[in-house]
Amino acid sequence: MSKFNGIAGSEGIGIGKAVLIKEQELNYEQKSVLKPEDELNRFEDAVRVFVEKTTAMADSMRENVGEKESEILMGHVLMISDSAMTDEVRNNIHDGATSESAAEEVFDMFAAIFESADDELTKQRAADIRDIKTRLIKILQGVHEADISSLPPGSIIVAYDLTPSMTAGIKKENIAGIVTETGGYTSHSAILARALEIPAVLSIQDVTREFKNGQMIVVDGTSGAVVSDPDQEEVKEYTVLKKYHDEEKKELLKFIGKQTETADGDKVGLVCNIGKPEDCAEVIERDGEGVGLFRTEFLYMNSNEQPAEDEQFEAYKKAAMTMKGKPVIIRTLDVGGDKDIPYMNLKKEDNPFLGFRAVRYCLQNRELYSTQLRALLRASAFGEIKIMVPLVTCVDEIRNVKSMIRSIMDDLDKEGIGYNKDISVGVMIETPAAAVMADVLAKEAGFFSIGTNDLTGYTMAVDRGNANVSYLYSAYNPAVIRSIKRIIECGKSEGIMVGMCGEAAADPLMAPLLVSFGLDEYSVSPTSVLSARKVISLWTKEEADKVADVVLKCTTEEEVRELLIRYKK
Amino acid sequence: MVSKKVTVTNPEGLHMRPAGVFTKEMSKFESDVNIVFGGKDNDGKSIMNIIAACIKCGSEIEIQCSGPDEEEALKKAVELVAE
Repeated sequence: MSKFNGIAGSEGIGIGKAVLIKEQELNYEQKSVLKPEDELNRFEDAVRVFVEKTTAMADSMRENVGEKESEILMGHVLMISDSAMTDEVRNNIHDGATSESAAEEVFDMFAAIFESADDELTKQRAADIRDIKTRLIKILQGVHEADISSLPPGSIIVAYDLTPSMTAGIKKENIAGIVTETGGYTSHSAILARALEIPAVLSIQDVTREFKNGQMIVVDGTSGAVVSDPDQEEVKEYTVLKKYHDEEKKELLKFIGKQTETADGDKVGLVCNIGKPEDCAEVIERDGEGVGLFRTEFLYMNSNEQPAEDEQFEAYKKAAMTMKGKPVIIRTLDVGGDKDIPYMNLKKEDNPFLGFRAVRYCLQNRELYSTQLRALLRASAFGEIKIMVPLVTCVDEIRNVKSMIRSIMDDLDKEGIGYNKDISVGVMIETPAAAVMADVLAKEAGFFSIGTNDLTGYTMAVDRGNANVSYLYSAYNPAVIRSIKRIIECGKSEGIMVGMCGEAAADPLMAPLLVSFGLDEYSVSPTSVLSARKVISLWTKEEADKVADVVLKCTTEEEVRELLIRYKK
Repeated sequence: MVSKKVTVTNPEGLHMRPAGVFTKEMSKFESDVNIVFGGKDNDGKSIMNIIAACIKCGSEIEIQCSGPDEEEALKKAVELVAE
């Protein structure tokens, strides 16, 4: 048995036999023996055949997969009909090249242009151009396409890449999984695999050489692992996992497009935690109702200097616009602690988690913070952005941030730049001080979001990375649960929204407590949206209250955990 | 010539699918369609040109149309990118 790790492109588990899809080598001459006008006719004929074939594939794709996927192929028709590209080919043919080498040169040039773009989506288009090129040359050479429409049931496709043209004829009931050497979560192969609901793992080096036809393969598209020649024990394990996954998935599909509500119809929000504006596409795909935590550190980490206002503005605006008016809570820079950013010259501290980090750093580096706040305000004109301030311990901190925001608003007014005048500025509650002072903070904050990970660490005074004390790191500690209850109550009595963006929000054991306390918004990873929606739907307020009553009488973490496991639905 | 500055609101920007729809619709007009983005001109009827221009969501672009049906072309173009 060998295990390989790649990019999880489409979830689910597939067990089957490898079918290697190898592209035939295409050999052709550089110089044409024909007269240029005859060579040109050869090229025009090939383009005509290409357009006919591709249009037919797009039609079959529309029926078998979906409209969106079919449009990708229609895009290929437009690309090859575009004189910006084909006129170059015609010029080369005029100079004596064969259609094949002329197409090769021009298409590769366009692919290289797209690949050098500073934008993931444009880069992915290079794969389309290469796909078009290969198909066109095959038509010119009279070579047939690799046919994957007649593969036997239980096939695992192993290929360098899964091109849109290859997938047009795919019979999804026969394909157990897909493994490729290239591609990422947003490449066509991944999009198609997800649309077809076939488990897929992408970007594993040399698979087309490592794997043999007929070899037993397990594809775990949820974790991104591929196992070749699994032993009996592993096959059994994965079969159980597959069954569980398939059933769970079928069950969860019922929750797509449904309102998130408790069993007795109390509506709550179910939003997502993300790290990049591009993640918004996945939030929508997974049916998230907005963004509950957008971490902005990536903007600062992926750069050698402080990101400029415009760069930040573009990122926030993109998130806001992608979410189309759904709420997007953006957390201001949470630097320090375990997150170091080289150019900020943070000094080594003895206690970084109790030190110079997050809002503390930002309020002492006003220029840096103003830049971020100004970018956020400008972006607020393009959607429902809310600002969240991390690591608040005193009410002054939120007051200072709000006064900075007011002064930036004055500047924007003077400059005639638009923003949302009623933008909500909330507090991330993740310190015991903030929990104790929640009643006071609730009068200043537009909303609360409970960060259960840090709240647990700070409340229990424990470093979860330290093996000797990590047993204390658990949100089931009565101290943490009482804090959560208090925070929600304080928020409610001031009439502000209370959300939760830590791991506890997606924990099925926690659900009865959160329903009972009246949490307004659950923020979870995009992959957990449907399971969280299901768990919330299982509890009525009355049942949840009963569990909460008993749990609140518990005195130890162990008692709480045991009770929650016993009552779990 | 008529022209208008607009913000691209399609979340994917002017990429494969949106660019495809755009060029297909624009080709129906007789007028020349030019997209000015980042100081550069891009042929509004060429999908390759538009994709290579890398026009992201939220970008400000200027659409210029000139020809016998320029008004209608501009109206349609604006509708396609800023909807």
